[in-house]
Formats: sequence, C-alpha cells, structure tokens
Amino acid sequence: MEGLLEIKGLKTYFFTEAGVVKAVDGIDFQVGKDESVGLVGESGSGKTVTGLSVFRIVPQPGKIISGSIIFEGEDLLTKSEEEMRRIRGRKISMTFQDPTTSLDPLYTVGDQLAEVIKEHQRELSKKEAMEKATKLIEMVGISEPRIRVNEYPHELSGGMKQRIAIARALASGPSLLFADEPTTNLDVTVQAQVLELIKDLREKQKMSLVMITHDMGIVAEMTQRVQVLYAGMVAEVGETHSLFKRPQHPYTEALLQAVPRIDKRKELRVIPGNIPNLINPPTGCRFHPRCPYAKEICKEKVPQLELTDKGHLSACHLWRDLSLSGA
Amino acid sequence: MENKGPENILNVDQERLEKRREANQWAVAWRRFKRNKAGLAGLFIVLFFVFIAITSPWLSPYPQRSYQTLYEGEAGQPPSLKHPFGTSRSGLDIYSEVLHGTLGDLYVGVGATIIAVLIGLAVGSIAGYSRGRLSDILLMISQIFYTIPLLPLILLAARIFLILVAQGFGLTLILILLGVFGWPTIAFIVRGEILRVRELEYIQASRALGAGRGRIILRHVIPNILTPIIVTATLMIAGNILTEVVISYLGFGDVNTSTWGLTIQEGYTYIRTEWWTTVFPGLATLFAVLGFNLLGDGLSDAINPRLRD
Repeated sequence: MEGLLEIKGLKTYFFTEAGVVKAVDGIDFQVGKDESVGLVGESGSGKTVTGLSVFRIVPQPGKIISGSIIFEGEDLLTKSEEEMRRIRGRKISMTFQDPTTSLDPLYTVGDQLAEVIKEHQRELSKKEAMEKATKLIEMVGISEPRIRVNEYPHELSGGMKQRIAIARALASGPSLLFADEPTTNLDVTVQAQVLELIKDLREKQKMSLVMITHDMGIVAEMTQRVQVLYAGMVAEVGETHSLFKRPQHPYTEALLQAVPRIDKRKELRVIPGNIPNLINPPTGCRFHPRCPYAKEICKEKVPQLELTDKGHLSACHLWRDLSLSGA
Repeated sequence: MENKGPENILNVDQERLEKRREANQWAVAWRRFKRNKAGLAGLFIVLFFVFIAITSPWLSPYPQRSYQTLYEGEAGQPPSLKHPFGTSRSGLDIYSEVLHGTLGDLYVGVGATIIAVLIGLAVGSIAGYSRGRLSDILLMISQIFYTIPLLPLILLAARIFLILVAQGFGLTLILILLGVFGWPTIAFIVRGEILRVRELEYIQASRALGAGRGRIILRHVIPNILTPIIVTATLMIAGNILTEVVISYLGFGDVNTSTWGLTIQEGYTYIRTEWWTTVFPGLATLFAVLGFNLLGDGLSDAINPRLRD
C-alpha cells in the first residue's frame, strides 16, 4: 500500500514542574493511502498526543523532541508554522472528543464552517462560503440544513454537534482525518450513527482515517489495521482481523478481554493497576508490572518490535511462548 | 439566502427562518435582554443618569458649589417650586448640587472602571498566556494589591496628594486612585478566563483546522472572555460610585467639585430638621448604584448564549 503518513521515532515530552513526562517515547506509525488505522490504548497511552504531534499543536509545556513525520513525502517537523497552518485543516484534519466544547459557543454553526472554508479558499465570498457550509451540513446527514446553518451549538444535540464537527473537519476535503474518540461523549444509539457517517464519508471522499480510541469494538468496526500503544510506546501492530484473532501482546489480550460481549457468556476482565507514571516509567517492558505473564527479562530489557507474522509486529519478549486468546 | 427549494414547503420553517435570518450574536443578546424587566429598568436608570450628567451644566439653576441662595435669603428651606429639593442651611441649592454631582460621580465611577479594566486586561492576559515565573509574579502582585484595604489607603493618599494637586484636579485624583487599586478583580477574571478558554477544545480545534494565532485570539479567545469582563465592569462602576460617595462624605474628597457625598456630608448634622439636604443626594446614589447593578445582572443573563431562550 502506498504510504501517506509515516511517523518514525517520534518523541513528544511534556516538561512539567514535577519532571519530564515522556508521553510519546519513540513511536513509529504508518498510514497508507485510503487506509483506516486504529490507534488504541488507555487514557495516557499517548494516542492523542501522537495525533496532536502530527498537527504540531502539542499544548504547552509539551514539545516534540525527535523523530520525523513524513506526510505526502515531506517532513512536517521541518515546515514553518505558516506552511503548517496551510496543511492543517486542508490536508490533514481532526475531530475532537467532546462535541460540546469543540465548537465555539458564540458563533452559529454556519459561521464556524464558513470560517474554515474561507481559511483555505480565500477567494470565496461570505455568501458562497455559507452556501458551502449548508451543503456540508446536508452532507453529514442533518435535516433542515438551511435552518441549522443559523443555529448556535447550544441549540443542537450532542450527536448533531459531532456531525457538525465532522463537517468542519472535512470542509476542505483533507486526505487524512484524525478522529479522536469521536463517540466517547455520545449516546450509544447516536454512536453507531456517527461511526456509520465517518465510514461512509471516508469511502466517498477517498480519505485515510486514523481512529483514536480505547474501544476495541469501534476498532473492529472501523479499521483495517490497528496499532496498540501502551505508556507512550508501541505494543503491537497488525491487521485488525489477525490482531483480534491472535493477539501477540499480553496488553492487547487484556484490552480485548475488557470488552463486554453479548454473544459469549464470559466474565468481564479488567486490567489490574493503572497506566504507569510517565515521569519514571517502569524499567524494561513498561507493561510488566500489570502483565500476568511477566518474567525476569521483562523487568530488565526493553522489548523491541519483532515481526511475528506477515504485517504483524509485537513488542513482547515472550510472544513466541505465549498463546494468547483473541476476541 | 434563497429558500425556494422544495425542502421548504412548510410555512413553519419559513417563519423560523425569517426569525433566524438576522440572528447574530448581539441581536440575540438584545432580544434576550429586552425580555429581562430588571435589566431593562437598570438600563433606563443608567441612561437617565447619563443624560442628567451630560446636561447638568445647562439644566442646573445654580452653578457648582454655589451658596447663592444664602444671599437670596432662601437658605435652609424645604423643597418648594423654586428649589425642588430644598436648600441647605449654608445656602446650597440641593437640586443643582444633585445634578452637578451626577456628572462628578459618573465621571469617577466610569473613569476609574476604565483604568481598572485596562490595567486588569493587560496584567491578566499576560499572566494567563505566559507560564511559569512571570505568571506567578504577576499573580502575586495582583494578590498584594487585592488584599490592601482599599478605603483607608485611598483616604490617606487623597489627603497626601490633595495638598499637592492643583484645585479642581481632586476628583480626577480619586478616579485614578480607585482605578489603580481596583484592577486586580479584573486581572483575576481575565487570567482565569484565558486559562479556561485556551484549554477548550474549540481553540485547539481551530488550530488543528488551520486558523492562525491572531484569528484565534481575536475571534475565539477575546469574545469568549468579554462577557464576564463587561458584567464585572458594570458592577464595578456601581462600586466605584459608592466608594467615591463615601470618600466625599468622610471629607477626603474634592471640596471644589459637587459630588453626592459632599452634599450628604454638609447636611448630615441637621438630618433631623433639614432632611432634604441628605435624602436627595442619598436617593441619587441609591438609584445610580441600583441601576448599574441591575444593568450588570441583565447583561450577564443576556450575553450568555448558553442560557436558552
């Protein structure tokens, strides 16, 4: 598959008063053209920071320390801020977790869509931009777009707001969309609709998608490939199907078992403990304090990503010896 | 926007559309404000006082601080047709004094608030945007200014400087003192609001979608922090007017310019017999403060778009 985005050795640290938080600590990540990839992990695993790093909008006191982010053949980390500004929204775009706060409460949805449209197509008049905004609202499946275009975010439901946020992200026809937990704050019934919409628009617009989520169910539904992150490092990468069937990393297994299944009467397993403190991460494999299979070597040596199968990589010392159960 | 498409067959939609067409932010705020009776009353009171202040030089029968009625043999008289608010024992026409005092007190109240807002905006936004030591130092200075007991300090400063300051500048001195010591309230709000707003997802979303720094600050940060500043400033005007009245009443104000406090001070010794000298400027103070407070509350309700119609 042709590459669209290729991240190599990305390190993004936060320099807080308590110490340096190694939120992303050497992550490799690829997205092909027209591909949809899941970026999975618990809160604090570095998935959102990876996304923000691509846009170079890591909030203070965060900083990209090293690595390269090649997008359409060019390294984004060497671009000027002005060049980045023209890439953001036009070529790569993002939707955010909370639709209630990702829209500015002071402007109508039409104004906010038109703002993004005009940012990248300055030749358009206000009227033309509003006309385009109305079309976008229609595109994301909201009825009465001519009325909605003049409404304020507080007049819309959560699902509609997320649809508007999606419309805004797609306003300039980007080739890559980062969807950061797009359904976390929505009702279950609305979740399915929003996912369906993203899937649909992705196919129509021939756009690559990075689905940032902690929900393995969404990953199974939406993605072709998955990358599992743990504590700022890659735990496992593989095609969604094979990764679900034969996970090669104990963390992936644990994540899969933490998903409630309606078809199998099985006890829901939780992952003991919390994501480690990233100022002083555990030695060796960062997952070893919570890993049921941990051995001596896991405490001492940082595991490297190893090819376990075609297109399937795992960062576990013991993957050869374990037979982990999939979903 | 044309609506001739088949999607707009229902009249209801057409009507809703009409209503929404000009529904920009300020039009919506004004509509909401109009429905708030208390806020509207506040607005009228404030406008009334502003009108009085502007026209007072022409409307007042007597000039400022004039004891003319003494020579006319009409000092110490109760309200009458010629002297609607009566005259003081010393010969002041209270009606004229209240009118002139309106100008003086609004001048101090509004002027001091403008100074406080400007300093507060500057300090607060720097403290909100910068991280680390600068922010801490600015916050500490604000807190020091905030904890200083304002009234005694102003009284002291007014006494010290009034000797040095040329005549007629006294009111401006009080204005500056009130402004220079009143800004921390605004600075705290601005800093807190900027900290809140800058972390909100829509700021990050605008950045992720290609908006530049200037556009984000002008379009998304400032409008979103303006509401509490406008409201606080309106309430602050009321507070500043009240403080000025207290300063004048205590005799630390400008004795050459008419203010409500000064008139009250003149009359309070004879309040049992000549009540009009104190009651009318007192009522003026009461209504002015009430007006600004009602206006402030009304604005706070109206500008906040999160309160549904």
